[in-house]
Amino acid sequence: MKLRLCLLLAAISAVLAGTATSGPARRPRYGGTLRVEIGATVNSLDPSAGAATPQEAEAKEQLDALLYGRGQGGADAANGGTAGNGPFRVASWEAGKRAVFAANEDYREGRPFVDSIEIEMGRTAHERALDLELNKTDFAEIPAEQARQAADRGMRLSTSRPNELLALVFLKARGAADDARVREAIARCIDRAAIVNFILQKEGEPAGGLLPQWSSGTAFLFATATDASGAKEMPQQIAGSPKLVLGYDSADTLEQSVAERIVVNAKEAGIALMSRAIPAPGTPPVHGTEVLTPRTVHVDAQLVRLRMPSPVARVSLTAFVRTLGPLAGIADSPLPQSASPEDVYYSERSIMNSGLVVPLVWLPQVYGLSARVRDWTPPVAGESWPLADVWLEPEDTR
Amino acid sequence: MTFRSKLFVNFMLALLVSVGLVAGGVAVVTRRAFDELNRQHSDALVAQFQREFGRRGQEVLHRVQGIADGESTVRMAIDLSRPNADVSVYVNDGRGVAQSHQLDFLDFVANDGSIISSAEWPARFGYKMDWVTQKEDWATRGSFLMKLDTQDGPALALMAVAAVRVGDKNLFVVGGERMGKEFLASLVLPSEMRALLYLNLDPTFQPGNLIDAAGPANEAERFAPLIERERQQPGEETAKITWTIDAASAEIFHAIPLAGRQNELLGVLLIGNSQHTVVTLERHILWLAFGVAAIGVFLGLLVSWWGAARVTRPVQKLAAGAREVAEGNWNARVAVRGGDEIGQLAASFNQMTQELVEQRERLIQAERVAAWREVARRLAHELKNPLFPLQTTVENLQRAKEQNPGQFEEVFRESTGILLTEIENLKAIVGRFSDFAKMPQPEFGPVNVNDIVRSGVKLFEAQFSAVGRPPITPELHLEENLPIIQADAALLHRAIENLILNAMDAMPAGGVLMLRTTHDGGNVHLEVSDTGTGLTPEETERVFTPYYTTKQHGTGLGLAIVQAVIADHGGRISVESESGVGTAFHIDLPAKPAHRAEAPAMEREEEQKEA
Repeated sequence: MKLRLCLLLAAISAVLAGTATSGPARRPRYGGTLRVEIGATVNSLDPSAGAATPQEAEAKEQLDALLYGRGQGGADAANGGTAGNGPFRVASWEAGKRAVFAANEDYREGRPFVDSIEIEMGRTAHERALDLELNKTDFAEIPAEQARQAADRGMRLSTSRPNELLALVFLKARGAADDARVREAIARCIDRAAIVNFILQKEGEPAGGLLPQWSSGTAFLFATATDASGAKEMPQQIAGSPKLVLGYDSADTLEQSVAERIVVNAKEAGIALMSRAIPAPGTPPVHGTEVLTPRTVHVDAQLVRLRMPSPVARVSLTAFVRTLGPLAGIADSPLPQSASPEDVYYSERSIMNSGLVVPLVWLPQVYGLSARVRDWTPPVAGESWPLADVWLEPEDTR
Repeated sequence: MTFRSKLFVNFMLALLVSVGLVAGGVAVVTRRAFDELNRQHSDALVAQFQREFGRRGQEVLHRVQGIADGESTVRMAIDLSRPNADVSVYVNDGRGVAQSHQLDFLDFVANDGSIISSAEWPARFGYKMDWVTQKEDWATRGSFLMKLDTQDGPALALMAVAAVRVGDKNLFVVGGERMGKEFLASLVLPSEMRALLYLNLDPTFQPGNLIDAAGPANEAERFAPLIERERQQPGEETAKITWTIDAASAEIFHAIPLAGRQNELLGVLLIGNSQHTVVTLERHILWLAFGVAAIGVFLGLLVSWWGAARVTRPVQKLAAGAREVAEGNWNARVAVRGGDEIGQLAASFNQMTQELVEQRERLIQAERVAAWREVARRLAHELKNPLFPLQTTVENLQRAKEQNPGQFEEVFRESTGILLTEIENLKAIVGRFSDFAKMPQPEFGPVNVNDIVRSGVKLFEAQFSAVGRPPITPELHLEENLPIIQADAALLHRAIENLILNAMDAMPAGGVLMLRTTHDGGNVHLEVSDTGTGLTPEETERVFTPYYTTKQHGTGLGLAIVQAVIADHGGRISVESESGVGTAFHIDLPAKPAHRAEAPAMEREEEQKEA
């Protein structure tokens, strides 16, 4: 009965969240160039061409949406084609560096407000934040952990709902991690609140389950508190005090900070855990060292980011299971039979009970905007940037 | 070994001992001086390090205090003093502040001891650093060494703590500098010196914990005994490590224990002083000393040789004079120089030879007189026998002329016959003396002594066993491989004949005549012995004297001739005899007569002329 009441409350909160509206509308105007900076480097706009890194794949999806329409992708727009179904078309293209998209006058949903979009690629988070402050760019993604500082400096930010899960995944068939007690000890010792408050600077939420509260409505049923005393007792029951390695993406500073914090938590609980960077594919080796690849670096567990493909809990959970399945060996976990909160919850609980996936925090998407950007609405989970709906305030009217 | 050589060896031994003592003394003094220099060097470096260490500590303290006094820190302290303060905003401040103040370690610690921000280990925020909140006056504590836990494991750091007090709450600023290779690299050390640091972070000696300015030290295991001693009983200690068999590779390490706040041993600083320059300099000095010693020894050798020669030259001259005297040159004289013992000895030598010459002259004179007397006696004795019949015959002739003229003719014929006979006897006697006086000079040729001996014995074979005479048994012991010598076969044959005749005369009752030949190298030895009556010692001494005989009808020239022949061949003859047992003559003949062997013959001719 209590569970049903909780699920009802969760459904109501999810509906209310979905109907929330943005700020006051103003009369839009046409014209101007929207300057966009992204961290990834996209080497090809060909939809059939693969991406070298997840970051590139993600950025490419955003650019594809601008060229081919939301959720579409047309093979006919490859190689800088001028015609397409999206709101923009390619005006100029420098692979991996810069792109200019011009407004598509024939866009079926109407011409975008801006005349063009200039996209600078390969800009670091620091450069993006600096350019926003210096008004050299109009739109850029800001890492969640830097949002608070950016806001303190007066930067205009737009934050989405938490829709990206940072989780610890025990890799299958890696020896020490096969012991459920070891996995449980590590899961108990993790101080999620400290990660959110200190590392994420309160931008995010502790994660106890695989779905956020606003999506499933049942996240509060999964514990997020630290059980330090319980964690300290468990290693004493484990013979041999196994030494585990926790891997993280070498290019991801947030993952590194979280991994190091987990190592400290584990050390205080008496668990031998060390962190190790996993180089991104294509990372040149440091001189004098062996070439490290994700396959050659031995890790027992790994931090992974999972972005929700949809606000629908069932869809996201199914996608997560498919993503994590090969890594953690949970491919056989039961998927929700229907979209009902009960089915989703039971499926999620089943996965959590395996102890192979330890959700850590939910991260929002934070966007930095210049003062002249108008009518920006942060996209919901699974949607691309709605830049076609954005218009720019003229310089003299601000 | 000659006297000069002995003297030279003694000089050299004395010189070598002196040089050795001096060289050894120089080496010992040099080594002590260098050891003292090393000690002073190490002491100076230790003092320098301790000053540098203290200066670094002050520097760290000033930096930490500077951070604590900074506006942002004070603002942080004020913020944290408020109820329900949000400490999360400061979690990343540590790293930036540490970098700007050039500190390896920096922690902001709240009043309850929890870490607000950590530069060296950012993920440790929220955890306690209880030792900071202990009751200690950090304002007066100064810097101190400390073992810190870091992400990469324990580390040694030079730390300082400063407190910012707002209200009743403290904000602690804990900062420090890593005691590692960077610290060692920053130490200003003279050339050929280096510093190593052992981080005493583990219960047992770990080679990886020993570092130098470049990183982990090479051959760290060599330091294990020194480190272990320090771990057992901390204190300044010195040890020498020789890296290779070359002594110049050695280093002297001065160990300085580094203690923490609780006086626990946290590290050991090793100041290494290379011995390369010292050993090279020491070797240079020793080589120089050896070179000087070698030159000294060489010069000493020359001087010793010259000195020995100078000292022994008069002695050598004395020895040469004595040799000359021994060889018969009694007129040898030695130059007298100086009035020292050698000069007195030379003067005494000259006086002695002078006395000897005079005594010899007197002896020769006496012997000559005695010889002439003997000749006169023998001549008178020989001549007396024929003269008496001559006198009787002449008196018979006179008496027959006066008393019986008729029988005078008959008496005259008989008397003249007797006179002629006796005159012949006189001529024979005179002839024998003349023969002795006219001994011929030998003509040398290859001679086998055994053949001479055999032919001589064969000559007398009939007489050995003559009827009416006791038999004499000849025994020949002749060595078959006797070498051929250069000799006059006829003279040698005559000498052997005389010796056999002499032996036969000595054995009137018969006996054994033994002749033995042997050789020694190229020299031939001949022994002729008999079992006759033997000789008295006095007869033995005079047996070779001319005209001396023990026989009733002997001329006393036989053995004298034998001696003359042997002497002409450059040989020697000696006799040994025992009365009633027998006599043995020993003759040594050289393979080839010396040139001076002719001298006796020439001298004899001169004597004959004088006679």
